Amino acid sequence: MEGPAIELRGVTHRYDVDEVLHSIDLTIEHGEIFGFLGHNGAGKTTAINILTTLITPTAGAASVCGHDVVEERIAVTECIGYLPAEVRLYPHMTAAENLEFFAKLSGVPEPRVAVAETLAYLDSTDLADRRLGSFSTGMRQRIGIAQAVLHRPQVLFLDEPTAGLDPLGVRQLRETILRLNQDLGMTVFMNTHLLSEVARVCTSIGVLNHGNLIYKDSIEETTRRFPDEASLEDIYVLMEGPAA
Amino acid sequence: MIVTIAGQQIVSLRRQRIFLGLLATFLVMTALAGVIGWSSHNTIVRAYDEAVRVLAAAGKPAPPNPFTHKPPLSLLSNMAIYIPLIGALVALVLGHLSMTDDQSSGIGRLVFSRPVSRTSYVLGKMLGAGAVIALILAVSTVVSALSLLVVNGVVPSIEELGRLCLFYLLAWLYLMVFALVGMVTVLMTRRQSLALLSALGVWLVLTFAVPQFTSGAHPTSSLNPVSQPVSTSQAFFDVTAKARPYSVSEQYKEASARILQTAGAESTFETVKRVLPIVVLLGGLGLLAVILVRRHDYSRSIAGE
Repeated sequence: MEGPAIELRGVTHRYDVDEVLHSIDLTIEHGEIFGFLGHNGAGKTTAINILTTLITPTAGAASVCGHDVVEERIAVTECIGYLPAEVRLYPHMTAAENLEFFAKLSGVPEPRVAVAETLAYLDSTDLADRRLGSFSTGMRQRIGIAQAVLHRPQVLFLDEPTAGLDPLGVRQLRETILRLNQDLGMTVFMNTHLLSEVARVCTSIGVLNHGNLIYKDSIEETTRRFPDEASLEDIYVLMEGPAA
Repeated sequence: MIVTIAGQQIVSLRRQRIFLGLLATFLVMTALAGVIGWSSHNTIVRAYDEAVRVLAAAGKPAPPNPFTHKPPLSLLSNMAIYIPLIGALVALVLGHLSMTDDQSSGIGRLVFSRPVSRTSYVLGKMLGAGAVIALILAVSTVVSALSLLVVNGVVPSIEELGRLCLFYLLAWLYLMVFALVGMVTVLMTRRQSLALLSALGVWLVLTFAVPQFTSGAHPTSSLNPVSQPVSTSQAFFDVTAKARPYSVSEQYKEASARILQTAGAESTFETVKRVLPIVVLLGGLGLLAVILVRRHDYSRSIAGE
């Protein structure tokens, strides 16, 4: 794997006249678990939308797995997995049917085998034949993770993955992310508000404030740099400032 | 990829109650068309027999039975009304549901985070809708043939079966127009309810409003499959009646009437000319759907209810 897993160079994005990302420069290496922090409306989801090829940046360039997100959209989508903030797959279809559909879209050679293996890997085989419409938030999240990883992507994008989960669900998700990173070597890019999880899971963090990337470093370096702060939450508040 | 997307749509649709309810209504109406044809036929024949008896008693000759030379397919003439009414509604809902799930729930975001081109996606959606409509109409063809055989005691000839298939092929083209209207309105609006209301508005305009003007505002001509333009002295309707060749619902009914032989014969070229506006509209809507999907911002969901 040559070059960084994710790279943004001067990425700017505007919705009509509102500039939500201001010339972001960011590099994330393969194997990192990157926590992207920021207040609501900071531009975190916009960044994920650009990196997953859903929208085109107004200016600048971004690449994932060495492929440009605008010029090589299909190549980018072949190497990524994505879990949006609110997972709602087809409610009239079973979990296995939903996953098989996404496996086929990803060009997985044996979709049924991939679905069975992924569900087993995520301890979710019991959900396979149930329709999504009857699922709790936690169950939907498990199937959402399954759809994001069943084609074994190199880079996994998670947008607020802990939203709506109970403490047990949060813990399961944390363990899953760590396993995916350690077992399969997946690079993880995670938008989140849950700083306690970032401290436990992530290897590096970035802080976005009103569309500006104000901080990016490893967790180790961050705690070394702010020795007086008791927790990552304190560090985050310090970075964002009282007005945030 | 196109087939995968179409397959997903078929699986999802067959489990949605609203769609299944409309489909059941359409199939019941198909069966009823045969029964209504049989009932009308019997009523007229009974009246004719009674008239023959009265005339014979008076020593007068009876005129020939009006049904003697009536083609058997004319017993299904009501189908040419049910398709623009109930069939088009089924197609509208089908088109709406096939797009709205992906829009409102954010599934579109997941689909386009996969190696899927937007053109393949929309073609897959159209193929899925086309396949479902074809399946519905195939069942309708069998139900119609059976109703001719069982209810009316008519064994359709090969030519009549061919005409029946042609009639349903034309119905497929017509219903696809409305399936695409259902899809396009979802892509053009940001609320599900507005999308469905807009689609219903288009259906009302094409099925009722336009024929009202192009047929000289004759109130029954929008429903009568064998109607002729009403001559009117009003200058306004003289002008609007000139648009009649482009009124897709009327041209559909006219062409259907020729295929089912419920209206006077005309050359094949004339009948094909009637189908042309439907094909052009279908092509235009298909192109519009492709353009809209290619431009659509799938990072945002439309509002549900």
